[in-house]
Amino acid sequence: MIFAVSGGLYGRIARARITDKKPSGKVQRTMSKVMKMQEAISRFVQSGDILFLSGMQHGEPSAAVHEIVRQKIDHLTLVSALTATSNLLLGEGLLDKVVSGYFNQDLRSYVVHKAKEMGRFPVFEEVSHFGLSMALMAGQMGVPFLPIKSQIASDMPKYNRNITTMQCPFTGETIGAIRAINPDVGIIHVQRADADGNAQKWGTMGVDAEGINASRRVIVTTEKIVDADVIRRDPNRTIIPAFRVSAVVEQPFGAHPMHLAGCYSGDMWGYYADTGPQESYETYVEKLVYGVKDWDEYLKKRAAMKPAGYFQNFAIKPVKSEPVTSGF
Amino acid sequence: MDENNDNGKYSAADQMVVAGAHQIRPDDVIYVGLGLPFLSALLAKYTHAPNSTIIIENGIVRSTGFTLPRSTDTPGSQFMADQLSGLFYINTLGQAGYITTGFIGAGQIDRYGNVNDTCVGDYRNPVHRWAGSGGATDVISFCQRTITVLRQSKKRFPEKVDFITCPGYLDGRPGQREKAGLSLGTGPALVITDLACYTFENGEMVVKSVHGGVGVTLEKVKAEVGWDIKVAADVKDTPPPTDEEIKILRERVDPRRIWVGGKRQASRGQED
Repeated sequence: MIFAVSGGLYGRIARARITDKKPSGKVQRTMSKVMKMQEAISRFVQSGDILFLSGMQHGEPSAAVHEIVRQKIDHLTLVSALTATSNLLLGEGLLDKVVSGYFNQDLRSYVVHKAKEMGRFPVFEEVSHFGLSMALMAGQMGVPFLPIKSQIASDMPKYNRNITTMQCPFTGETIGAIRAINPDVGIIHVQRADADGNAQKWGTMGVDAEGINASRRVIVTTEKIVDADVIRRDPNRTIIPAFRVSAVVEQPFGAHPMHLAGCYSGDMWGYYADTGPQESYETYVEKLVYGVKDWDEYLKKRAAMKPAGYFQNFAIKPVKSEPVTSGF
Repeated sequence: MDENNDNGKYSAADQMVVAGAHQIRPDDVIYVGLGLPFLSALLAKYTHAPNSTIIIENGIVRSTGFTLPRSTDTPGSQFMADQLSGLFYINTLGQAGYITTGFIGAGQIDRYGNVNDTCVGDYRNPVHRWAGSGGATDVISFCQRTITVLRQSKKRFPEKVDFITCPGYLDGRPGQREKAGLSLGTGPALVITDLACYTFENGEMVVKSVHGGVGVTLEKVKAEVGWDIKVAADVKDTPPPTDEEIKILRERVDPRRIWVGGKRQASRGQED
């Protein structure tokens, strides 16, 4: 019977094992990483986590964000750049802190207003876009900080203890320094991955590569799970290798309402309109987040709420380059 | 004249776009921020600067024109790029000194070109809060010259900003940027508003030209600045857009009329 118990002490012990800092532990090598979104989020995202979300206006893990909201995983520190669906995390009061270069705090925004009313408005740790990228790069590299020639001379270091200046040990010149960030868990949505988690994304990368590689636990959500040989015939495109990945979730249209290179265009402004004013926001979360069991149901419901042909509008005209040749 | 200072042929916003385009040199490598900078960069590309390179923060490097996007990263701004990478790579190009011209918007700008995109009032208890730097502080820190584009009012032109998000010439004394650790030979070069264009002399903003073509006078310009601003000895009217420039702007740069009067129009649906 103990195996049927979820949560409680047993749940915490099991979770602690699986989410050990060494993601190449035995449990993960022997068990399939392919799972449903519900399982991936409940196993690998925990209350209190530092959460990295990929997708700087391109191919963000929207389906995963909706699942986090559905599971009400709270007290998160969000590390991301321009992630549109993170407004749901704010509006549902799940954030303790935001580390980013750009964070809308305009009180005319309903989610901002709502979070403040609930007393759940997060602390904003303010960096620049490049500062965020460098903090994550330092995290990826396993060094405590990196030198940087921006943010200094601004007033940001006065209010962010993770930005400072130092003397170059070689020339003595003044240079900025930004402290590393290692998110507890990172989620990336990609065009394709194999069942072991070798993940390939193309198009613009924003802070995806450094963000996901800096993350201790990694969830890959993918439009499609492909045969490992597809990956291995074009391995330069792999941005994180299987041994760093904890979970693989196949989720078509998983980045909607954002666009995804080579797959579909997006409806970011439509999304902002649908989650902007109070009434439409509350309708959105009630019907499309809490009112569905998963992303497939979301897609059906979203289509039903929109004029006919909504998703067909996002079809792109595919263009192919010459295939990459390898051989032996 | 309507509220956008439109003289029937072109608006103050068109004048801003064209004045921005005129600043782009034939071989410029341009780091563009969202909004009017995109229009200026594309207009220059389709007129006098076909060899310019356009760089977008999400990771886009392009030598060809493209469909004007509503945001910075869209399928259209990615499509057929010369190079797609990420934010890190783009900014290393800047930090290493390879980006000649930066183009940013601003919440406020002060006498010495310092930009505030953060807050009005006390940081901990602000009267107004903007979304923050985004990439703007990186652009103004790295690019050889940075052009700042904003609508002008006295509120947006305080003598000293409450928060320096993007360092200009700091307190105006020579060498302050370098002392703070910024690279030599970088900094704000030009400010373009709906009223006038400004340059910097000894680190201080001066009126360079006034948008007379849309009915702006020097008195009006000075009335919308929060300090007694210096005026260049050779101040003149901003060169107005040519008919050809307006035609290219309407028909090629922004045929969907996404930006009208300097404001982004609502999306009709899918983003491309």
